[in-house]
Amino acid sequence: MSDKSKGLNKAREIYSNNSQRARELKAAGKKIIGYPCVYVPLELLTALDLVPYRTCGDIKEPVTEADRALPHSFCPIMRNCLDCALKGKNDFLDGMVTIHSCDPQEKTARIWESYTNYPYFHFIDMPVTVRPEALEYFKSQLNDFRKTLEAFTGKKLPKDKLEAAIKSYNQQRTLVRELYELTKPSPPRISGTEIVQVVKALTSLPVSEGNDLLTEVIGEVKSRTDVPEKKLTRLLIWSSTLDDADIMQVFEDKANVVMNESCGGIRAYRAAVKSTYDPLEGLASYYLNEITCARTFRQATPGETGKDYARDLQSRFGYLKGIIRDWKISGAVMLLVRYCDPFAFEMPSLKDYFDSIGVPSTYIEYDYTTGALAPLRTRAEAFLETISQ
Amino acid sequence: MHFAGVDIGSTMTKVVLIDKSDNQLSCIKGPTGPEHRRLANEVMRQALQQASLQIDDISYIIATGYGRLNVPFADRQITELSCHARGVSTLFPGVRTAIDIGGQDAKCMRIHDGRLISFVMNDKCAAGTGRFLEVTATALGIKLEDMGDISLKATKRIHISNLCTIFAQQEVIALLSRGEKPENIVAGLHDALASRVAALARRLGIEPDLVLTGGVAKNIGMVRAMKDSLGCEVLVPEEPLITGALGAAILAKEIYTKAVEAGQVLPTKSRRLEKATFFAEEHR
Amino acid sequence: MADEKKKTINRLKSMYPLRAKVNETYLKSVEAIQAGKPAVWAMLNFYYGDPVLKAMDVEVVYPENYGAIAAAMGVAREYLDRADAEGFPTHLCGYSLTTLGYASRMMKELKGQIPPEAPLGGMPKPLFLMSSAAICDARYKWFQALGRYMDAPVWPLEAPIPGIKEFFIEGYYGRMVKLGVKHLRDFVAFVEKMVGKKMDWDKLDKTANLMIEVNRVWHEINELRKVNPCPMHSRDFWSAMPAALFLAGDLEDSLRLYQDMYKEVKDRVNSHIGAVPNEKYRLVFAELPPWHSLSFFDKLAERGWNFVIESFGYHPPIPLDLSKVSDPLERITKFSLQFLVGYYEDARKQNVLGGTSAYPYLKYAKEWKCDGAILHPLISCRSASTHLPYVSDMLMEKLKVPSLSIEGDIVDLRLFNPEDALAKAEPFEESMEHYRKVRKQEGLDW
Repeated sequence: MSDKSKGLNKAREIYSNNSQRARELKAAGKKIIGYPCVYVPLELLTALDLVPYRTCGDIKEPVTEADRALPHSFCPIMRNCLDCALKGKNDFLDGMVTIHSCDPQEKTARIWESYTNYPYFHFIDMPVTVRPEALEYFKSQLNDFRKTLEAFTGKKLPKDKLEAAIKSYNQQRTLVRELYELTKPSPPRISGTEIVQVVKALTSLPVSEGNDLLTEVIGEVKSRTDVPEKKLTRLLIWSSTLDDADIMQVFEDKANVVMNESCGGIRAYRAAVKSTYDPLEGLASYYLNEITCARTFRQATPGETGKDYARDLQSRFGYLKGIIRDWKISGAVMLLVRYCDPFAFEMPSLKDYFDSIGVPSTYIEYDYTTGALAPLRTRAEAFLETISQ
Repeated sequence: MHFAGVDIGSTMTKVVLIDKSDNQLSCIKGPTGPEHRRLANEVMRQALQQASLQIDDISYIIATGYGRLNVPFADRQITELSCHARGVSTLFPGVRTAIDIGGQDAKCMRIHDGRLISFVMNDKCAAGTGRFLEVTATALGIKLEDMGDISLKATKRIHISNLCTIFAQQEVIALLSRGEKPENIVAGLHDALASRVAALARRLGIEPDLVLTGGVAKNIGMVRAMKDSLGCEVLVPEEPLITGALGAAILAKEIYTKAVEAGQVLPTKSRRLEKATFFAEEHR
Repeated sequence: MADEKKKTINRLKSMYPLRAKVNETYLKSVEAIQAGKPAVWAMLNFYYGDPVLKAMDVEVVYPENYGAIAAAMGVAREYLDRADAEGFPTHLCGYSLTTLGYASRMMKELKGQIPPEAPLGGMPKPLFLMSSAAICDARYKWFQALGRYMDAPVWPLEAPIPGIKEFFIEGYYGRMVKLGVKHLRDFVAFVEKMVGKKMDWDKLDKTANLMIEVNRVWHEINELRKVNPCPMHSRDFWSAMPAALFLAGDLEDSLRLYQDMYKEVKDRVNSHIGAVPNEKYRLVFAELPPWHSLSFFDKLAERGWNFVIESFGYHPPIPLDLSKVSDPLERITKFSLQFLVGYYEDARKQNVLGGTSAYPYLKYAKEWKCDGAILHPLISCRSASTHLPYVSDMLMEKLKVPSLSIEGDIVDLRLFNPEDALAKAEPFEESMEHYRKVRKQEGLDW
């Protein structure tokens, strides 16, 4: 990237060529560790001076290599990620950390490990409930992760360094929330497409550089005069992963996407890791409880012996109510990546929830390829036509 | 004052011209062909000729359909869903549910007071679209347009797997080799497609009056199968292919009239009948 | 079910009483439920939650199995269409959509009455739902989604799934056991509250022991299949499996019947009697069989194809001595964990890291000396299909064993085309012959 570019321009450049910084750092002697999912606690990597790098898919890349290992009726994002890896696009990685956040993550992790040969590869198991014994197990998983990282780097992980890393990431979370404050005005001061670029850039930079970038972007956006054009509808998009600017642009041609509730948007930044005596405790609790991905089984009261649908919906989707109020959302899109079981099962219930709070919503499915853009556009625009006429 | 709707679908391009009282002045359908987006100007020229109008006589033009983004002389783009809804409710004011089965997709729409209120679409799989009949007609060695009449001769119902067009094609061949009569197979294919589309429509909830449009609506066997699958009457416009273009023309008139009443001047495009460009060239 | 004109496979006589017992239990259970006994809907949970339910004497129905029944009886379609209309994406697991459509019909349309068209007595409104996180995401999200139709509470059973290398980190197994035992203890408390009675711990203890013993004998039977000719065909495995996997029926009866089966198989081994008349090819089958087209295997048997091992997900755990574990919950937990991790040591030695459900097929092909593998990927069941391309790749790479993939589905039964599959048999035989030579050249011993 050019040294002069700053703020949004810089974010766009990193977005378009997102492995460049990692390659530079690698050339400078740093070790780069890939991760495919936001459930991986990056704090542990950073505390040991490893550089985390999110291995993303690329919708423009036709999947060919991954065919030998994964069937067609499988999460297209993970197929795409693995395909990129098998094509050598991540050849600069020193290792990978994978996690059992969902089946496709778990299954792809095995295949990935089997077909590649990084010096370090680790798989973190993850329970599906937030029960106390599940949390304890997850914490022990993070402790194992720590041990393997220590063995890989030949260094002990001191508590103060881990605490410092947690602090840096909490700062990143605060900054992303601050960025999202800037989509509250009408028109928003920053577009959903720009935020996709910023967030994707963050996942390919060391945390300190990410925080610097965020600070620059926030400063620029606060004082900019060329704010996005005001559209009739303020959209919330709820999805597993929406990390592609072209896909976001399909929606933003006719609406302002002021909230991207996916792991390409605010999802991994909505809360903060709590300070605990054993830092792993705070980390385990944050990653298991606070990230609102459909992969986690939530219920009104763990172990409840009665069930009330309204309360159940509240426990699963209640957090969206505040977002809808604060961001003045006038329409919601449930954007499903085909074959994503955890999110697919939520569709009718989430629709019920949106109906119950009076937000018009629609369910749109796509398969994470450029071929999906045209049909996606028709659905998105038709939905916007129904709610803005 | 005259208005135009241009519907560029995946197989057919349709143009409807109306006057300010919604009278239809012309209606032209052209096969789209492989370079379909380039033909919009040609279909428009024919429509103007039929109505004895010049392009400059048209006050406002709306383009719709998958090719809508690439009509250089159109003033505005609106999705085919909204246009179909508008077109269908002009022809059938009591319509509540509309189903359009095209060559590449199927759309189900709920309509209230002439406006689209919700919709579902299938375009990810040929099994729920007109393509399903096209492919299986080929396997049977019969013409697509003859399927309706043939199916009326059916003597029994055959269940066809509705999961995949390719498999259905193989199944058709297997049934033929087992000596099954073509008319029974054709009726089974209609049932399979109808049940698929009906399930899609049920997501929205079906409320009469229900109108079926698209090329498939010309197939009498399909209309009958849809009636059975939906369990309600199915209304079909005289010309089921042009509801999208008609709706676009009517929306053009409404948008234009509203602007004039509000004293606004709507921006319009150059009225030169240029060839359309491809999606990729134009848009990115 | 498809008609079976010619039965070439030499079925085990001891399978029939076992199968009859399972069917009898099912019918008794239906009667009990119809008489008002509470029922629980459960997911296949690999010996973890089932012994608890069994000891508490509640009737259990498995919507997964019911999905297969509904498909075979031709009523699944109505439920699938209904689930589609309710807004569930059509690419979801076919069994889950069947259950969701069924629940919608029963609760929204019939106010809780069992639908009259439902085969085999239907599934009554459950007291609670016990799901499992083992094997696939669908299996805990699907029961959660049922909350839209019924107010039955859900307990999702945790099921840890370690990486193959990671499992050998110091203390790992102990931590899995700790999670399992604590989780199960809380589950028992939950069941006690729901059923309104206390757990009979002696009964649980006995149930656990019988479950372990039944599965040990069942394992030994399958070990006997390594000989040439193989005395027991996959069809007998699938017929006999529910009593061990779902603990269907009285466990003491089951134990006796499996012991009888062991004797019969052992006799066949001693007398060199094979399950097919002239065993030419030994095959492994992955994963779920085409339940509605099982006569397909008779046609292959005519060609000398013997299916000697199959369906990892249905196989009993590799035996583990748990006699010194006094707490039944710990014994149950360890037994259940063994289903998965029983293979880990071997898999690590072989450096086969790609998938916990993939490694067993390498072991099967090698120890049961298979000439080929038939893989049966299912359009709407990702968990039974995802690992198959990898299995195929590994079998070839490590063992020079060729695979033939035949697509099917769990609910759209017509997708599996037996004629088409049979047409591939002859060319596949050529392939198997070829790789026999290749294995010999590479020093593999079969």
